[in-house]
Amino acid sequence: MRRQGRRAIYHLILWMVAILFFLPILWIVLAAFKTKDDLLAVPVKWAFHPTLENFASLIRRHDFFSSLENSFLISASAVVVAIAVSFLAAYCFSRFRPSSTNFIMFLLLSIRMVPASASVVPIFLMYTALGWKDTYWGVMLFYAMFSIPFSVWILKGFIDGISPRYDETGLVNGGSRLHVMFRVVLPQVRPGLIAAFIFNLIFVWNEFLFNFIIGGKNTTMIPVSLVTGSLAQGGVDWEFVASLASVYLLPPVVAIYFFQKYLLVGMTFGTVRGEV
Amino acid sequence: MSVTSGGSQLELKEAGRASRRGQLRTLRLRWIDNSRHFPQMLIGPVLVFFVIWNIVPLFWMLGMSFYNYSLITGSPPRFIGFDNYADLFDNISVWLALSKTFVFVLGAVGIETVLGILLGFLFWDSTTMPGRRLALTLLFAPMILTPAATGTFFRLIYEPTFGVANHLVRHLLGAEINFLGDKAWAMISVLLVDVWMWTPFMILISLAALGSVPQAELEAAEVDGLPWHKRVTHVILPHAKFIVMLGILLRTIDSFKVMDLILQLTRGGPGNTTEVVGLMLFRKAFEGFTMGWSSALAVIALLIAIAFTSIYLFILNLSREEKGVA
Repeated sequence: MRRQGRRAIYHLILWMVAILFFLPILWIVLAAFKTKDDLLAVPVKWAFHPTLENFASLIRRHDFFSSLENSFLISASAVVVAIAVSFLAAYCFSRFRPSSTNFIMFLLLSIRMVPASASVVPIFLMYTALGWKDTYWGVMLFYAMFSIPFSVWILKGFIDGISPRYDETGLVNGGSRLHVMFRVVLPQVRPGLIAAFIFNLIFVWNEFLFNFIIGGKNTTMIPVSLVTGSLAQGGVDWEFVASLASVYLLPPVVAIYFFQKYLLVGMTFGTVRGEV
Repeated sequence: MSVTSGGSQLELKEAGRASRRGQLRTLRLRWIDNSRHFPQMLIGPVLVFFVIWNIVPLFWMLGMSFYNYSLITGSPPRFIGFDNYADLFDNISVWLALSKTFVFVLGAVGIETVLGILLGFLFWDSTTMPGRRLALTLLFAPMILTPAATGTFFRLIYEPTFGVANHLVRHLLGAEINFLGDKAWAMISVLLVDVWMWTPFMILISLAALGSVPQAELEAAEVDGLPWHKRVTHVILPHAKFIVMLGILLRTIDSFKVMDLILQLTRGGPGNTTEVVGLMLFRKAFEGFTMGWSSALAVIALLIAIAFTSIYLFILNLSREEKGVA
């Protein structure tokens, strides 16, 4: 009985820690349901009548659906391209081990470690010179590149975990190399594919700087409209910012609820495996 | 009669299609599967991406760093050799930005590591917790949101007049703090946001590290009645240290890159008290439009990042050798 009581208190503490970390996010979501007066009230109003007016005016804004569509379209297509390309390369690195494997894997990892504000300078110069700025393909293919290092790392890790005997058995029994790749190995790395897919989606969905610099009004994604909205000259339109932020954060939060077991591998480039 | 002829025509069509498919297959086998260059074909697409989006911009940047090139004056780039680098070296604001970055990295990673490990121990035994998945989702939510957005949240929270942070401070201390506008508080406020965002990551890493300790050894320590600090140093640490080190390194690299969070919170201000290297680069390039100078600074940042990456891989290889897995 006492043991159970202590367990209950322990779990209560854990829940409180979790909620504590979520509070700032909850605050912005709550703000989205407040009227302008409640939001700007001094002193802070804890009790208020929730309203959907902010979301209604968000939907009426001309740029809302276009940035939502851009966000979904660009992140989904970039990630699909990246994973297709990365699977081929990861298979090659894992099975054929060309002599440049270690060096290329190192280069790929360094790409992701470089400060974005450093790599955005040359990309900006290149995109302006070639006229790729604010084009769907320019932005989408950039994000595909953005997703490749992570995908190669994560998929190579998973393919390494599958014994080459499967490949040998397949080849000995008359399967072609592509057959072995796509029908024998591919189905077994499904967890890796899912992890790569979900986390690249989140990363591209979240990306701000490059979209801000090489995007434009045709390719604006949600984080950029969030920032430009919150940096507006004069008073910031907090109802707009809060309601857009609430829409923005829904997909990533739902994704980590359903794909929690990939969180660790996803946040560490696939270098640390396991579940929590 | 007509039925059978129809049937045979259908069969013929089928056979034709099959043979065409067979031909395609033979072609595919000859040119792709059995080609001597099959491995090269597999890495080909990634290399194409790599060359277009990395090698070309890299050399572009390297080249540009030897030029005096400003987008404002509109005059063509002028070759000035190593002058940009010399200027970087002499420029006090670069060193200031570097030292602020250092303070930020040290503060953020230090606090996050300590807090993360402590909370990791707290969450270690949480497997039977009711609603664990939801609780962990709430806990890990800060780190999967973009700093551009979380910066926005905290602008609302830190807002001096109607922000909730000041409301609480007023009630608890009776004073007011201009979190983002006060020179003494700006860096601390920014650090707090980073700690809030990334402590969950270190919790995740600590949980993984604790999970890598074999249950049998823990039970043996329990049976032997080992005191807790010896359990940590002799049982947990040898297994957990690599994952924790990888986590710390990833955080170091990431906090060195910090830019959009600070852009959103303070834009480097007040004065330039929060102008770290990442933000300085952004502002010089896209507010000052001095592309040559910024390229030189970007090259330096690139070299630092590569150094970090090498350390990361070194530790990763060490941990793999120790565990005996490839």
